[in-house]
Amino acid sequence: MSEGKQRPEDAPKGIYGPDGEPIFFSEPGVDRMMAVIMNLASELWVMHEREMPDGADKDGAAKAFIDRVFAPLRELQE
Amino acid sequence: MTLELQHAMKAHPTPDELARGRFVSAIRSFILNDLAGDLNSAYHKRAAPKFRAATGRDPQSSGEAHKALRGDPAFNIYSSMRVQAQKMVWASVADGVARDAARLEALAAEAGADTSVLLKPGFVPPRNASAIDVHLMPGSYTGGDGMAAGAVYDRGLAVFSMGLMGANLDDIGLSMAAYIKRRYPDFAPQDMLDLGCTIGHNSLPWKQAYPQAALTGIDVAAPGLRYASTRAKLQGVEAQFTQMASDNLDYPDGSFDLVFSSMFLHELPKKIRAKTMAEAYRVLRPGGLMLHMELPPNGQMAPFEAFYLDWDSYYNNEPYYKGYRDEDPKALCASGGFADDAYFQFVVPSISIYGDQAVSDAATSDADHAVGAETTGRLAEGVMWFGYGAWKA
Repeated sequence: MSEGKQRPEDAPKGIYGPDGEPIFFSEPGVDRMMAVIMNLASELWVMHEREMPDGADKDGAAKAFIDRVFAPLRELQE
Repeated sequence: MTLELQHAMKAHPTPDELARGRFVSAIRSFILNDLAGDLNSAYHKRAAPKFRAATGRDPQSSGEAHKALRGDPAFNIYSSMRVQAQKMVWASVADGVARDAARLEALAAEAGADTSVLLKPGFVPPRNASAIDVHLMPGSYTGGDGMAAGAVYDRGLAVFSMGLMGANLDDIGLSMAAYIKRRYPDFAPQDMLDLGCTIGHNSLPWKQAYPQAALTGIDVAAPGLRYASTRAKLQGVEAQFTQMASDNLDYPDGSFDLVFSSMFLHELPKKIRAKTMAEAYRVLRPGGLMLHMELPPNGQMAPFEAFYLDWDSYYNNEPYYKGYRDEDPKALCASGGFADDAYFQFVVPSISIYGDQAVSDAATSDADHAVGAETTGRLAEGVMWFGYGAWKA
């Protein structure tokens, strides 16, 4: 354990960037873009929910919305 | 599913805040069910075979499964989205808590919450709780004013839980207490101590299970303790909350019949963890029980399943999590002074999901074969909880 950073002592090298944030994609900007996409989807959902009538199945609609928007990220299903 | 807490300190969100919380719960469900399934497939179809081609053998540990997965597209997508979703959990409730601060303080005053909480002037929280944003929660559990961190945790956990942790986030406590009560019907504690209780959400079910017993919860974080005291009062449960570290208990030897924790030990550095075990042993009376609900140990899981849980250690600011899971819980109990044959472990189905009968069946079957099951310790559909403990002779 590194006392200064408090990271797991067996953390592989290079999994955190200079700002301490984890890096997953080889181009670190993609991690930040992923966050932007998720924030945008959230705000789009908020606007969508504003228009929904009382009594609508909002949980079910949110699931369908996410399934639809994020479908391209899924692995190919056999 | 979006969870609305069932106690008086629950949020009164604006429609937009409610929608944001719903989105975050739903996208976490997508990540932890759908993308987790993709990650599993990718591991077996691509990552493990690639590792085998390079080394001549399969990954044999959580660390090797991690190494195999790094760089795989399914791992990158799952991980990047999960980190961002975790940040969105806390962001979705922050404004509501800030707006609600005065009301929460009024509730605390009205309930007389300060009569059942003891905060120690000059107490310095340990670095493992104060020096990092544990669970990526801004300010962690020890910072900020008043009870805000406690409220952020309670309301954030409601979003985080996707409805899988009980109506008041108390499913772990309810499930564990029900299990112990049914497995050991003659056990009748008079004094119970919860280590690392945070906001007391999993403390209160033990008082409900054993109403004759006095319940004390300790934690190092003052905001959570004040919040816990208020929440307990408003839920009509009598409990004392005290600021104290689990490795330095300010109680005489033999003070308690039950010392327990819920998802706590994995947040502690190794030395503090070992000392916590010794302290639990010391403050227990003969015939008393130490019990911990925790993540299952790596030694009892396959490499992918082990790493799936260890992910939090690297990417959710829980740096001691993997080191804890690499330890053998039986040996950890023994290091505290408990006899080897006093140890037991079990898996209990979530009582909120599976119901009373499933918990009773688990308590009478004496089986722990589900330790390595995919649903054990994973906050996803069908979750079950791992527990272990030891009796003091």
